[in-house]
Amino acid sequence: MRSFRRGFRSFRRNYARNLIVVVLLFVCLTFSMSMLAVKLAADNQVDTIKQKVGNYGEIKVSSEYQMKQFEAEREKSRAERQAEARSMTAEEELANRVSTLVPEKLTDQFSKDQYIKTYDKVLQTNVTVPGIANTNMQQLFRARDNGPEEQNAGPPGSRMNQNSFFFAGNTNGASASDFATGARKLVQGNTFTYSDYVDANPVVVVEKNLAADNELEVGDTVEARISGESGSNSSVELKVIGIYETVQAAQQDQGSSSDTPRFNPAGNMFYAPLSVVQKLNATPGYVELGSYYFDSADDTAALKATFKKDAAGTSARYEFATDLSDYKAIADPLLKARNTAVIGLAGALGACALIILLAMIIIVSGRTRELGVLKALGSTDRQVIAQFAFEILCICLVAIIFAMGATALIGQSLGNWILPKTEKAATSQGSRTGPPGMRMFNRDSLYKEGGRFSAGDSGQKQQAEKLNVVYRGSLFLYGILILVGLSLVGMAIPVFWIIRLRPARVLSME
Amino acid sequence: MSTRETVNVEDVSKTFQVKAGEVTAIDHASFSAEKGKVTTIVGPSGSGKTTLLYVIGSLEKPESGEIEVAGSDIIDAGTDLVRYRRESVGFVFQFFNLIPALTALENVMLPMDLAGKPPAEQHQRATELLDRMGVSGRLLKARPNKMSGGENQRVAIARALANDPEVILADEPTGNLDTATGQMVIDILSGLAHEGDKCVLMVTHDESILEVSDKAFHMVDGRLSEITA
Repeated sequence: MRSFRRGFRSFRRNYARNLIVVVLLFVCLTFSMSMLAVKLAADNQVDTIKQKVGNYGEIKVSSEYQMKQFEAEREKSRAERQAEARSMTAEEELANRVSTLVPEKLTDQFSKDQYIKTYDKVLQTNVTVPGIANTNMQQLFRARDNGPEEQNAGPPGSRMNQNSFFFAGNTNGASASDFATGARKLVQGNTFTYSDYVDANPVVVVEKNLAADNELEVGDTVEARISGESGSNSSVELKVIGIYETVQAAQQDQGSSSDTPRFNPAGNMFYAPLSVVQKLNATPGYVELGSYYFDSADDTAALKATFKKDAAGTSARYEFATDLSDYKAIADPLLKARNTAVIGLAGALGACALIILLAMIIIVSGRTRELGVLKALGSTDRQVIAQFAFEILCICLVAIIFAMGATALIGQSLGNWILPKTEKAATSQGSRTGPPGMRMFNRDSLYKEGGRFSAGDSGQKQQAEKLNVVYRGSLFLYGILILVGLSLVGMAIPVFWIIRLRPARVLSME
Repeated sequence: MSTRETVNVEDVSKTFQVKAGEVTAIDHASFSAEKGKVTTIVGPSGSGKTTLLYVIGSLEKPESGEIEVAGSDIIDAGTDLVRYRRESVGFVFQFFNLIPALTALENVMLPMDLAGKPPAEQHQRATELLDRMGVSGRLLKARPNKMSGGENQRVAIARALANDPEVILADEPTGNLDTATGQMVIDILSGLAHEGDKCVLMVTHDESILEVSDKAFHMVDGRLSEITA
């Protein structure tokens, strides 16, 4: 304790000399702490992004396989296709129908991987609901053909008509991506549950305007036709259990009068349990995709390996698509800023170490007589070392306190200065999913981003456009570590000097 | 060793390795110094007298011989030399060797602080000692660079007395002072021996100091010979 007091006294009394060291250290430490703050901010933001992006994957039929199928079909003439369809057995017909679907066995097997946190299965298909008029489709056809309003047919050769709707099936209505992204919101009744999926309960959730146009209420029933079936068992009666609203419809309601015709293609979607949609599509045991959430982007490589193992022999047909590229596009600017900050931090800390080392060489060499006197007066090496250690600690402490203050002032600016160099790249790479409304034409789009005509979520991208350099506890902890580290480096010279010093040699010198 | 003998040096030798070869600083030196007396070793520069003083003060190790100071065998490996330097001997140097960052009072308090004495006791004794040396008032808080050579040497003597050692080792105590101030310092050291019952051992090249010495030795090329009246 006495040694510390002597060290503090020595620090105060040699203020002019120490001030120079403090100022030099302050400059380097301010840069170090600012870089550290930038690194911590970037790490924190990357962690936040990791919780939302890069932790999603889905098993689906690969784009290449679908393209090959399409090309093969295109090469056939219409007559060839019709002849082929006529000669198909029931098994061949099923095989043909599921050629762009994934067997549930594969998606279920993959869901057992240790990294998988949540699992869903999705099937979207086109279903005819004879009693319900698709007013949006009517508007589309009218606009295309400029024909009579009562025209009730789609384009020639298309399965689409004015009673056609998209049916989206999954295992739990609440976790359907459109509801998860906020593109759709339940406004009346309930959505279907996992039990509805397991029990294949014939329930459905419909869009608000569609329900209003067709005078549908919760509790009413609609009849949906099973694909490819005819006769008495060709349809399923579905009970409306909930009504949802789309973002677009909500905006239209706010921005226009009730007389304005409402065009809301996003409202063409019916939501039903997967097992029901599989029945309507006549593809039991097959899904469009298996949807998985895992811990973070770090698990992607392991999951890809698992997929390769699970899909052995069929890996060319199926693919495990992830949002890793989204994660990279969003997190890359932050990661680059972090790497720059780490390099800056290392350089600045190196400079700090050099400064304290050189300063101590100068200081101690100028105080050898004092060291000799202390030893001649009966100081132990430990007492002298403790005194110098505390003096150095004081120098570093003052410098780091001021540096922390300066970091609060310049940390954010430094962060902004580092980040913009990579920001542009992020915004261009981040457009993989395309503009809202065009996603339905993009085979690369992921289920988690929302379905057809959904606006998606651009929040994560915005998160990467600015580094929020804020003070946090860890900065102080690192500050203390730097303080201790610098003091130890600074002590290297005095310790060496003190132990080797022979007082008799320095006391006689003039 | 008689009861009055405080320093007893027997057949001590010390050599240094230099580029040109080996230099004998102390060549089989033997002498003794007693309490209440001023013992002086005179000799030209480079004769080995400062080395002998540092050997007695345990700042240098001799190659051979025996040294007993205030009951401590300082050649014995078991002797706590740090404690010995704190409690048994007090140094007075030619260039004062005060710590520049400390005030006169703090410089005197320092050996007591190193010995672990309470701050109040340190302050009281340091003030008394400095008062005895004629250093008081504003000088107590003055730093060495703000004091004259004589004042610095008086502070250095007070510091040497801080832990009340039996032996005062003075290396050219007047070497850096004018004649009048030097005489004053000699008087103080002489007073410490004769009135304070200390064993004062001085090494100097100033033969005028022999006048106040009770016992004197001449040192040339590391060899010691007693000067008889």
